[in-house]
Amino acid sequence: MILSGWETVFFWTFSIAAILAGLLTVMARNAVHSALFLISSLVSVAALFILLGAEFIAGVQILVYVGGVMVLFLFVIMLVNVGAEEEGRSPIFNRPPQVAAALVFSLFLVLGLLYAINGAYGGPKDKEKAQQTASAREAREQRLQTGATGVSRITTETERVGRSLYTYAALPFEIASLLLLVAIIGSVMLARTLKQEASADDVDAEVLGQAPPAETGTDI
Amino acid sequence: MMSHLSPLFVLLLQETSGGRFSATVEGVKHPDLSKFLVIAAILFIIGVAGVLTRRNLLVIFMSIELILNAANLNFIAFSRYWQDIGGGNPLAGQVFTVFIIVVAAAEAAIGLGIVIALYRNRETIWIDEIDLMKW
Repeated sequence: MILSGWETVFFWTFSIAAILAGLLTVMARNAVHSALFLISSLVSVAALFILLGAEFIAGVQILVYVGGVMVLFLFVIMLVNVGAEEEGRSPIFNRPPQVAAALVFSLFLVLGLLYAINGAYGGPKDKEKAQQTASAREAREQRLQTGATGVSRITTETERVGRSLYTYAALPFEIASLLLLVAIIGSVMLARTLKQEASADDVDAEVLGQAPPAETGTDI
Repeated sequence: MMSHLSPLFVLLLQETSGGRFSATVEGVKHPDLSKFLVIAAILFIIGVAGVLTRRNLLVIFMSIELILNAANLNFIAFSRYWQDIGGGNPLAGQVFTVFIIVVAAAEAAIGLGIVIALYRNRETIWIDEIDLMKW
């Protein structure tokens, strides 16, 4: 696609917001702040999805990531208190040699990726063909039905994604549902306490609690 | 070096796919695709740096989400690119992104369950203190 006019402003605003929020996610001292910065980064990337014409994915991103996964993260952050880190009593990063090695590795990754991208897709070399496809797309969009207000047009993008999901990717779709079922059961199994485990499995709590005696009774 | 090798990749792609990718290859020099790729690469690297440097297990999980999201941005950008040049199934990228989001949700649920179980047993979520299996 070719960015034109306000699209350029939209693109740069949200991409810079996404990158800044991503950086602050990694740098923030408080884990709750990290989660909130990650939410703003995800929302900015959802805006970029809308710019790329993927409205359905943008909606799924907001609903699933921001509405589901990040709320789960915030719950766990509240359950697991990390006071020492917030108050500045302990460092937020690993030991300095590890951090230095990680940053050098990241720098090499930056150089390699930017070099590869520029090598393969560099520069506005074929502007006319891209202009042609863009105008063809615009003409295609002009033929779409208008919405109730008469200003915007109703795209068929979501419909096509849905059809693609049930035909082109029907088997992976079913496998994904199985994966979600396994994840539900697995997280319930992992997060239960020793007492709950004993009562569910019909095992004497004393047998389970023998090795580490301090573990019982920490209901979260 | 990449720019010298790319004709080779193009040739390989054409040979192995039986000419299916010729339309794609023609339009490879696309003006604004690379901007999205660069943004996604920067987000990916921020995520990798977060995974490698932070001590807090929860922030490491959040950095993993950042990495997955960068991959999503790449998929959507290439999906739009295929829509523009008309190659393959243009919605394959979006379908794949849905699956990535599903897997990320499952991973977050399991991972946070592990974090809670770990915190209950060891009273810490700092990765440099969780070294029972390290020698």
